[in-house]
Amino acid sequence: MMSPSLPYRRSWRVGLVFVLLCFSFAQIFGQGRSVTVTGKITDETGKGLPGASILVKSSKNGTISNQDGAYSISATENAVLVISSISFETQEVPVNSRSVIDVSMLPSNKTLNEVVVVGYGTQSKRAITSAVASVGFNEFKDRSFSNVTQSLAGKVAGVNITQAQGAPGSSPIIRIRGVSSITAGTNPLFVVDGVPLENFNLNLINPQDIESVDILKDASSAAIYGSRGANGVVLVTTKLGKPGKTNISAGYEYGIQTVTRKVPMMNAQQWIGYYIDAHNNAWVDQNPAVNKASDPNSVRPSTYRIPDDFINNPQQFGNGTDWQDVMFRVAPSHNAQLSVSGGTEKTQFLFSGAYLDQQAVLDENYYKRLSLRTNIKHKVSEKFSLGLNLGATTIFDRTEGTQGKSDVISLAIQSDPIFPVYNENGNLGYRDPNSVWSKYIAYNDLNLWHPYSLTRFYHKQNKSFNTLGTAFAEYSIIPDLKFRTSISGNLFNTRLNSYRVKNQGYGYSGLLPAEGNVQTSYMLNWLSENTLTYDKQFGDHSLNVLAGYSVQKQRDEFATVTSGSFPNDLVETLNAGVVTSGSSTASEWAMISYLARAQYNFQNKYFLTAAIRRDGSSRFGTDTRWGYFPSVSAGWMISDENFLKDVKFVSSLKLRASYGQTGNNQIPNYGAISLLGATNYVSGSALASGLTIGNIANTNLKWERTNQLNIGVDLRVLNDRIGLSAEFYNSVTRDMLLNVPVPDISGFSTQLTNIGRMQNRGVELNLNTKNTTGKVVWTTDFNFSTNRNKVLQLGPGNAPIIYTDYVVAVKTEVGQPISNFFGYVVDGVFRNQAAVDAAPHYSTTKPGDPIIRDVNGDGKITTDDRTTMGNFQPDFTAGLTNTVSFKGFDFSFLLQGTYGGEIVNQNFRYLGFWNNGRNMFASVDNRWRSEANPGDGTHFRATLGLTGLQDQFHSLWVEDASFTRLKNIRLSYTLPTSLTSKTPFRVARVYVNADNVYLWSKYTNYDPENTTYGASNYSSGGNGLNASGNAPNGAFIGVDYGSYPLPRVVTVGLKVDL
Amino acid sequence: MKVIKLTFTVLCIGLLSSSCKESFLDLKPLSNPTADNFKTTDDFELAVNGAYASLYTVYHPEGPVSYANEQMSDNAIMFNISGIQADKWQFKDYSLATANTMVYQFWQDCYKAIFNANIVLDRIESANVSATYKDGVKAQMMFLRALYYFNMVQLWGDLPIVTTPLTGEESYSVLRSPASAVYDQIKKDLIFAAEKLPLASAITMPGRVSKGAAQTLLGKVYLTLGDKTSAATVLKEVYNSNQYSLLTNYSDLWGPSVKNTKESIFEIQFLGGNASAPFSRYYQTFYPNNNFLGFYGGGMNQVTDDLYNEYETGDPRRDVSIALGYNNAGTFINQKYPIKWTDTKATQVGGNPLSNNNFMVLRYADALLLLTEATGDATYLNLVRTRAKLPKFGDATYPTAKYPTLDLAIEHERRTELAIEFNRWFDLKRTNRAIPVLTAKGKAITQMKLLWPIPQIVRTQNEAISQNAGY
Repeated sequence: MMSPSLPYRRSWRVGLVFVLLCFSFAQIFGQGRSVTVTGKITDETGKGLPGASILVKSSKNGTISNQDGAYSISATENAVLVISSISFETQEVPVNSRSVIDVSMLPSNKTLNEVVVVGYGTQSKRAITSAVASVGFNEFKDRSFSNVTQSLAGKVAGVNITQAQGAPGSSPIIRIRGVSSITAGTNPLFVVDGVPLENFNLNLINPQDIESVDILKDASSAAIYGSRGANGVVLVTTKLGKPGKTNISAGYEYGIQTVTRKVPMMNAQQWIGYYIDAHNNAWVDQNPAVNKASDPNSVRPSTYRIPDDFINNPQQFGNGTDWQDVMFRVAPSHNAQLSVSGGTEKTQFLFSGAYLDQQAVLDENYYKRLSLRTNIKHKVSEKFSLGLNLGATTIFDRTEGTQGKSDVISLAIQSDPIFPVYNENGNLGYRDPNSVWSKYIAYNDLNLWHPYSLTRFYHKQNKSFNTLGTAFAEYSIIPDLKFRTSISGNLFNTRLNSYRVKNQGYGYSGLLPAEGNVQTSYMLNWLSENTLTYDKQFGDHSLNVLAGYSVQKQRDEFATVTSGSFPNDLVETLNAGVVTSGSSTASEWAMISYLARAQYNFQNKYFLTAAIRRDGSSRFGTDTRWGYFPSVSAGWMISDENFLKDVKFVSSLKLRASYGQTGNNQIPNYGAISLLGATNYVSGSALASGLTIGNIANTNLKWERTNQLNIGVDLRVLNDRIGLSAEFYNSVTRDMLLNVPVPDISGFSTQLTNIGRMQNRGVELNLNTKNTTGKVVWTTDFNFSTNRNKVLQLGPGNAPIIYTDYVVAVKTEVGQPISNFFGYVVDGVFRNQAAVDAAPHYSTTKPGDPIIRDVNGDGKITTDDRTTMGNFQPDFTAGLTNTVSFKGFDFSFLLQGTYGGEIVNQNFRYLGFWNNGRNMFASVDNRWRSEANPGDGTHFRATLGLTGLQDQFHSLWVEDASFTRLKNIRLSYTLPTSLTSKTPFRVARVYVNADNVYLWSKYTNYDPENTTYGASNYSSGGNGLNASGNAPNGAFIGVDYGSYPLPRVVTVGLKVDL
Repeated sequence: MKVIKLTFTVLCIGLLSSSCKESFLDLKPLSNPTADNFKTTDDFELAVNGAYASLYTVYHPEGPVSYANEQMSDNAIMFNISGIQADKWQFKDYSLATANTMVYQFWQDCYKAIFNANIVLDRIESANVSATYKDGVKAQMMFLRALYYFNMVQLWGDLPIVTTPLTGEESYSVLRSPASAVYDQIKKDLIFAAEKLPLASAITMPGRVSKGAAQTLLGKVYLTLGDKTSAATVLKEVYNSNQYSLLTNYSDLWGPSVKNTKESIFEIQFLGGNASAPFSRYYQTFYPNNNFLGFYGGGMNQVTDDLYNEYETGDPRRDVSIALGYNNAGTFINQKYPIKWTDTKATQVGGNPLSNNNFMVLRYADALLLLTEATGDATYLNLVRTRAKLPKFGDATYPTAKYPTLDLAIEHERRTELAIEFNRWFDLKRTNRAIPVLTAKGKAITQMKLLWPIPQIVRTQNEAISQNAGY
């Protein structure tokens, strides 16, 4: 009677539509005798299906099936029951005077009628012709992560989600189908309930409020988001209640987090040995003819002196302090949730509140989040409906250790193990002038950055407030033609207060005065959107046309104030000190868009979609700010053809092909304009304001464009027992927004220009099988993806682009993937002088120094011997999920892995060779000591002098980033009705969830997913550069310069429905 | 048709409801001015100050002039300096690689400084301002450009000469000109500057270039080119201008509040006490790398014993210039460091003392010593010695045995008088003494090491740029 492919949001809503449309029939035929109908709703395996909605058509009467799938409802004998449940096809069953009606539900994906959110609308899965991945709530419901995308890692082919930093609330890096840009941002566009938000922090949306996450992977599906679609689009849709009985759901979970992998560092004895060696070797090197390792301090300059205790009585230090044990702890978390949802045919609602209180594994760090949501939709009349989605989130957190080398975690690792956690006065460090340890102040090359000096003697709190609201109205102008208008606003405020206690308990590397700082930021983004949808079926033809117009604008403000000269530590607000500096900045962007899309199908068998968007953006040159982004796609349900209808083996087979163009607009807000920066001078005792030009203007600056071809096939065989989806894509990004190097004699090093081309091509496979059905249901999902990234063209003369940051160099050149690690190859350690003399070597090389490979074979070691040493991009990634259900038990585990990529252990720069007396990797204990004691042939001799290119970027810094991770294990048990029926709860479920359970990896630091530099991000007025300002962040993905470990998280929880 | 009409209607509503105009997308930066505002004298004053501010990078305590003159000479070493140590030490041991990141940074800094002067010179040509004002601004910018090029030509030799703002494309076609052409450009700029600039006494904004500054620099340029006659002429004008004099005591020259004295000819202006103002960094950078004062010193330009011992017995300048070491929790650390720019009362923010000390690029004592160098007349040198309360050259008590010739006396005097003021290496090069003096001290200096390499990146970007011999 009805088309099963109407683009309504979810199948239960399709059911709702049936109800509405049949309303009049009920009126006409009147009412019959009332009966009580009971029965059981089961899934396709015969298992009771709890939570299914049973509605008496054309009435307000409804109920929900209980834990075992049983229900009871009163209805007239000629009524029709509408039974719906998420992920199942809605069914209508006439009562026909029966009193027992059992209904077996069919999974909606079985018939491909599941509805997928595709941007500015929905589409039945059957009609999807592009590459869209859809993940429903059930896939992540018990996971412990605060950001929903963290729970998707390893589950979606072609979507690489890596957790760069393990701190609570730290968002993962998401790369959809490779890296499409060198300089511009590579984060996907996030669209929350229809609001496109660049670089949005999904921690601000409670995962428990999310109904589905849909990821637009190819250019055809993302083209409707035009200039922001090139990195893919992540659509997040929040929940809304169902008509019927009000559902009250409550949950509580308790978790613990532990650091499971430590970085093996030297103990005090090993480190003292290293320290002595380094000083003696350097001292002898100074003048080998005269100086001896046994020379006393009295004849040595201060640089070469060794504390007497190290020589005379090193045993007094024992094994010393393991600073990782000091700073890390087993951290608890609590998460409480309450939601109320329900409604009538006219009004549906969801109210929810959740509070997460998570301690971090790092001392004094925490993450607390209160999220509140109210979603309401109300039908004013048959033609007119209104709605509001409003989410408010407050986060109080203290998050440190994620900023690399000079942040708490890394500094603690660098600290020397000889120092105690507390000195004899109860203070933290040797800089306490009244401590016996103060004698070590005389040595410039002893280091202590006590973690407590930064956590307990440096007070910090970050407060964030986010409100995201969308109000919308829909009006049916004529049947089939609907107008929708919406106004959305996202208001985000943060406030970071910090206060550094004077002298920091004597635990820091210096005695610093007290200092207070306040930073505030403000962001307001508003969007006005108007669309018109025409949806019509003419016989075998079905047509859906969308036209729309939107305007969006964002303003960011930032302010900071610092105070010093605090008289004491009693008052920490800035008024107690003297303000020493302050600043504020602001920036804006705006966008106007027109969009149109037509979806057509014939006999629900041949599908065609075409879309176009026109965007105008303030970020680009006045002459080039408008761009068109077209796309087209087609699908063919071959299995519906007569020649396949009789092939029982094939349940369904669909071919898809798409081609489209998307853009990338992620550059600085004023990237096209030549900006002046304050460059003040002084005259006498007065400031003389000055300005200099900061960048070259480019009024022709335009979008980066990506054209992508996608070919896919969806096959289900053996009565849907086996499903396979395969995709191939080829995308070429052109007019890349590249900071092209220009000769420095122009006064500038780079100019932001549209130049160059880059290719990403890859294959994605999704295989899901139902291994057993019946009492024990076992399903397996496997996904595999591989992407090849290749630069096709760069700036003038295709000159390679080399970015260097703290010795590590990455090189981007034509014919290669972007950001190859670029340095020397080390082939071991010179055993003796004869070996040095026999081989090409750098001038300062001594026995025990690295054997640098003469790559170009010219007999000399020069900078020309640097070569490619790897790349962070993996050869392939895979994920495997197994789920087993038996009676009330559900068990699943997820294995994920990435293979063939490399990671730079940039910590080598200060933990792998002498760097002013920092602690060392434990492996350095196997170093070359003498010809007779050459160590493991990998680790260099100790020396302050760093001879023979010891300190250059070389192959020992580069490690295999391949890993397999037991990412998740879940076990849940639903209490049987026999138990719950004695309680007020309809459903009660307990579960255990473990994330980051175990890691198989050869990486010697914390985690091969660690990367200190995330994707380039130009939001909120940022310049997208890394901390040292030397390169765009994105160029250094895969470089670990001191990171936060990914803790293992185990949570136990209880969820009940009333 | 109906659909189209409706679509149109709806879109119109949309257009009205949100100001869909092109102007909606014309967003001007809120926190930065843009480059199209060069119109009034006020605008130009801002740009002129910006061009002066380039002095901060060129004469930075860890800038190119500092590395060349102090680290590459026999005056100073580095100790526990932060950053990429290997690249910094290449200056010390004359092993500069073409990939040296510091050399590249200095190349960028220098040409950025040139650009900041060129842009003003370019824009003022067409500006609607008075001719006098125009000449005054041009003269100042030309002085700065000449000063920057003079440093650069001594560092790299042949150079691409850029005298107008270049686009990225244009800059590919500017290749290295011979050093002589660079010197011609420098002389041309300085002659114009000396002609148009006012005398020091007529300068109303302290720190702005005066006629005497242009003349002194021109004198130094002539001496570098071996043209002693022209040098003598122009330096005599400075001497006779009655604008400058030596301060009574050498120690009067130094201190956070000692600014723009009678002895100062060209001085870089700093303002301490505020983190967002251009505060002076010499104090911190030249302090040993230890936090005995509550901040971390930079360990740059730590004084060699060789320089310390260059001072004659009783020379008061030594202890004004150099500290013997520091006391660290009761232990005395023997590590000599410069103290001319000490500001012990500087406000500290974020572990940095915000010092107030200015830096003199040219001062009268320098000019006097140059004048002796140009004329061979020891009178001017002896003025400097008299101020230091030391016997005159030619007197019986003068250490003639050590400094038998006037040339050696000048070399000795310049080293002690101008210690750590970024002169030593250029002085040794100018007088062709770098190789003998440094070789005698066991340094691995050769003729080719007298010039820095052209950075590798520069030649990767534009292969037509040549490299210096030996690199």
